[in-house]
Amino acid sequence: MLQVNALSCHRQGEWLFKALDFSVSGGELLEIRGDNGAGKTTLFKILAGLFDDFDGEVKWDLPGPPLFVGHRFGLNAQLSPAENLSFLMALNQGASSREDLEAALERFNLADVVDQPCRNLSEGQRKRVALSRLQLTDARVWLLDEAFSALDAKGRQVLTELCQDQIAQGGAVIFSSHQPVEGFGLTKVLALGKSL
Amino acid sequence: MRECKILVRSPADAVQSLLFVVMVVTLFPLAISPDPSVLAGIAAGLIWVVALLAALLAAERGIQADFADGVLEQMVLGNTPLWLLCLIKAFAHWLSCGLPLLLITPLLGTMLALEALEIYWMLASLALGLPVLSLFCTLGAMLTVGLDRSSVLLPLLIAPFLIPTLILGTQWVQSGGQSFYGYMLAALLSLSVVTLPLATGVAVRIAVSR
Repeated sequence: MLQVNALSCHRQGEWLFKALDFSVSGGELLEIRGDNGAGKTTLFKILAGLFDDFDGEVKWDLPGPPLFVGHRFGLNAQLSPAENLSFLMALNQGASSREDLEAALERFNLADVVDQPCRNLSEGQRKRVALSRLQLTDARVWLLDEAFSALDAKGRQVLTELCQDQIAQGGAVIFSSHQPVEGFGLTKVLALGKSL
Repeated sequence: MRECKILVRSPADAVQSLLFVVMVVTLFPLAISPDPSVLAGIAAGLIWVVALLAALLAAERGIQADFADGVLEQMVLGNTPLWLLCLIKAFAHWLSCGLPLLLITPLLGTMLALEALEIYWMLASLALGLPVLSLFCTLGAMLTVGLDRSSVLLPLLIAPFLIPTLILGTQWVQSGGQSFYGYMLAALLSLSVVTLPLATGVAVRIAVSR
């Protein structure tokens, strides 16, 4: 699905990473590890196609774009979770029905705030809104940058289940996390930075 | 659709543009001269200058938030063509800034002692010209979003491109509707609608990679 060859990237004169080679195929989990500032977010941006100032090759073999959830969730503060979600889905694959949206939000325990403006929501709640997209998308690969942080135990559990489903259906998940994530079986690990 | 909802949730934005325009237009007769012949002479230019400034002031609105919230990133990543999304952004700018101005122009014209026919040409020139302003402002906002002091850079960058529209618009009114100016303005509008969303799309791609 994804083949990365000799990927190098530097910022402000320092190499973030040099000559990375890795690949991801269907049914695989890839965890990207690294300290703060090791270049995890940059790597995610490169993989998503947002950042193209790098050397090397990133080859995707996918019918559609991968789904990217980063530090910025893509939620407008004036709009409700349901409206934001429906807009984000519309950008990718057309309209979703109201029932689907509500079901997706309810799984992340957001049923009470479906129609509240997002500015009233806490950080963790907004993260859960952004992650609700995972249940609606048909993207084959998910790029989850720090997806597990700021989530409560329940949220982490739901996210873990969603990732497991995605793997079981032959998709792939690339994620980064500072805390160890329980419940994942075989996980590939890519370490960035000085610990390499 | 989303843009309309955001506009409805924060009506203060549209009111702000309108208030700015009305205030400036009200202050001019007080400061210069209430003499109708003087006012009628400067009215077309005045309304156009205020329209241009209002458009520039409103340019960053919403786009700054979209950048900070990561909405622009998701716009780039999605399947929807970026030029279409940029066209919608420009339309939203027109909706919050251009349309209210267009609606209040008859009133402003009357305040500045314009005659009915001149108000008619004023409306025609604004109807063709304001969308051009919106398209350019959206481009400028996307080019500067996320930069330090973008609010200084934006007017400097974009104002020169707005001047042809200003000249054509004011000349059209002052010449009493000479068709040459109208055609030029219409040509400018068609050209902008076709090309600027594409350029804006490229600007968004650059913005999200910063």
